[in-house]
Amino acid sequence: MKTVVSVKLIKRRARIKAVIIGSLCILLILAAVLSDFLMPHDPNATSALLIRKPPSAMYPFGTDSFGRCVFSRVLAGAKTTIFATTFLVAVTFAIGTILGIISGYYGGITDSVIMRTTELFLAFPQMVVAIAVAGILGGGLSAALIALGVTAWTGYAKLARSHTLSIRNENYIAAARLAGLSGWQIILRHILPNILFPLITNALTQIGTTMIGISGLSFLGLGVIPPQAEWGSMISESRAYIQLAPWSVLYPAAATVLTIMLFNYLGDAVMELGAAERRS
Amino acid sequence: MASFDQNAEKNLQLSHARPDYVLEVKDLSLSYGDEDIVKHVNLQIQPGEVLCIAGESGCGKSTLLKAIHGMDAVNVTGGCVCFEGKNLKGLNKRELRSLMGTGIGLIPQNPQGSFNPLRTFEVQMKETMASHGLPFDPDEMVQLMESMGLPQGKKLLKSRPFELSGGMNQRVAIVFSLLLKPSVLLCDEITSALDVMSGQNVIDEIESYASHSNAAIIMVTHHLGIADRIADTVAVMNHGEIVEYGSKDQVLHDPADSYTRMLLEKIPRIRREAAS
Amino acid sequence: MSLIPLLLALSFFSFLLLDMAPGDPAEKKLAAQGIAVSREVIEAERIRMGLDRPFLLRYLSWLISALHGDLGISYKDSLPVAAKLVTGLKMTCRLAGFSLLLALMISVPVSILCAVRQGSVFDHIARIFSFAGNSIPNFLISILLMYLLCIRFKLFPVIAGDSLTGLFLPVISLAIPMAGRFIRQFRAEMISQLEMDYVTGIRARGVKEMAVLFSNVFRNCLGHMITVIGLSLGTLMGGSVVIETIFRWSGIGKLVMDSITARDYPTVQGFVLLMGTLYLLIGLVTDLIFVFLDPRVELKV
Repeated sequence: MKTVVSVKLIKRRARIKAVIIGSLCILLILAAVLSDFLMPHDPNATSALLIRKPPSAMYPFGTDSFGRCVFSRVLAGAKTTIFATTFLVAVTFAIGTILGIISGYYGGITDSVIMRTTELFLAFPQMVVAIAVAGILGGGLSAALIALGVTAWTGYAKLARSHTLSIRNENYIAAARLAGLSGWQIILRHILPNILFPLITNALTQIGTTMIGISGLSFLGLGVIPPQAEWGSMISESRAYIQLAPWSVLYPAAATVLTIMLFNYLGDAVMELGAAERRS
Repeated sequence: MASFDQNAEKNLQLSHARPDYVLEVKDLSLSYGDEDIVKHVNLQIQPGEVLCIAGESGCGKSTLLKAIHGMDAVNVTGGCVCFEGKNLKGLNKRELRSLMGTGIGLIPQNPQGSFNPLRTFEVQMKETMASHGLPFDPDEMVQLMESMGLPQGKKLLKSRPFELSGGMNQRVAIVFSLLLKPSVLLCDEITSALDVMSGQNVIDEIESYASHSNAAIIMVTHHLGIADRIADTVAVMNHGEIVEYGSKDQVLHDPADSYTRMLLEKIPRIRREAAS
Repeated sequence: MSLIPLLLALSFFSFLLLDMAPGDPAEKKLAAQGIAVSREVIEAERIRMGLDRPFLLRYLSWLISALHGDLGISYKDSLPVAAKLVTGLKMTCRLAGFSLLLALMISVPVSILCAVRQGSVFDHIARIFSFAGNSIPNFLISILLMYLLCIRFKLFPVIAGDSLTGLFLPVISLAIPMAGRFIRQFRAEMISQLEMDYVTGIRARGVKEMAVLFSNVFRNCLGHMITVIGLSLGTLMGGSVVIETIFRWSGIGKLVMDSITARDYPTVQGFVLLMGTLYLLIGLVTDLIFVFLDPRVELKV
């Protein structure tokens, strides 16, 4: 016989899960913000005497082939990765959401122009475009962010548009229009707050994907330029010496995987929470 | 006619185990989660008998039907359902599966939902028959569809559920159920999606099936007029309990229970409104 | 949106790529070929490349030659770009085809079993695998596989090149994340189909469970699965660039990375045009298959 778990319990579980994962993510972001104070060594200081030393008390993750402290570089890389990701997700989220809301709210020609453009960018394979654009622009973190951002806003635009369409004809929007509020006032006061939750949920699920994209480009040498620390490029630099100094690859690799997993899990948890809240 | 003999054979086997009843519901209680939907229900049906379970929506009649059909979506909290003397609970998955359709058939409330929307009726019927090891005769199916007011049966066989209206799907669902020649046929509000004329056709067809094949029919309805037309026995359900159960004449013309009287009072009123 | 405007937009974008590159194209071409550059040489090259003509005119003449299969000449070795791309594409198709096959061979049975035994131990393990596959970048999977199988246990040569053994590790590296994504999506679709009314209806008629699962539920999932597969081929194209670079598989991905390093922009441009066109065609084909599998959806070409 099937046991039926009450909605209340499902909700509580979802909330607890979201809070735990959320705090872990905040902890990680804090570590990235405070990385300058947490680093035992200068992440860029090279030393000919300390090449490829195994982990020790002084160098908890060992040193790489330039004698740099892997632990400090992993921390510095956290800053690069997390800041770049947050920045990219925030910018593409803002652009996509604004375009989507305008498209859904005003309709007509504005809508067709914006949606055709969105479909256009959606029709291209994201990573292929990113690699080509980053490659042509000649690498560097900003080039990588542009390359990934070119296609990343489309998802938000489509989602924002469909949510806007679903509430556009509600009574309170009509009332606001009758009260003489301008289009922008209605969008900011009435539409945006009502559709924000699903959009933010979607943005959270994109964090992991974006990190994979950034580290992938950096790994190819199309993202962060060495010696700046970034996990993808650290792995790329050290992989030739994986036999001699596995720690210099495995620690940044572990950091990458754990961070992406954590943020992906956060996306899932928030999505679950949203589904549980809707059930009541 | 071969299949009718098959049913007669079934009934013969039955006479050894249980001379009278093809289906018995003994003190059955059902629940969804913490909520009791059906409480201590007892019913007995003989071959060829038409039993109508009447009651308003939400009284638990559809849930009761699901349990009789052996579906595991409901929690059985007490009692049992016996088909041909065998407790359904004691059957394994395979036995239960082969019983469904041919032993106990069900015409569901939502006809469109009972078919795979993407496959043709012919393919689906063939698959159903094959699952029971029965031969599939398209002509028989076309014939039955035409007698049910579905013209162009050959074309219908090649069409998919989403291409037809709810009423047409309902009738095809009835055809599916009848072709499996069940010994007990459960009907859940089967006329609700149909207009009056097709409703009549369908009821006639089911009645003639019952009398030809000596099958028992359990019909759940909120429409006491249908009960008056075809039922042998009537059970009235209210809040998960059977408040009155007996022969049609006794229940519909000399009710003992106040709730039954109240339900009955609604029929002439509707007729008067319709006439005026 | 229909195919023709999308293809035009794609070609325009690809053409624009060359102009996006910092610096003067003629100078870049000469620099890529290692020719010492003086003002006069660059000017002559500019005219030879037609750079003195207006942008739209250059685009049109490029587009017309592209339609004839002429994607220009590589800066690096003066070979036709189209021929280089086709050679690479063949190798990449071999890699991608095997990866897709492996990913499907893992994900289809696993997701069916997960959906049928929802909440079981198997389901949980498969979901963890799928989640991990989704979260690990493919370059990490390949490095870890290389470390474990080639260096630690010495089961494979570190650099096997284009041989059949060389295919093994890159195929696994590409297939694991893809299988993870497939399991997640197929499982969800199977479960949502299993919860539909028609399943109850078919079971109520006593149809055998195998027929319920395969001829009905799985069959109805196919349209959705084809769409997911089509979309994932775009990811696969990006992934193959990384994987081919790591394993030195001389497919189109490694070609484009080598071209980026050598500043051989026409090849990069041709790569984008070719991959974009392929992706659009794949999208069209999956749409057609979807409509065939689910005639309720009307085709909008």
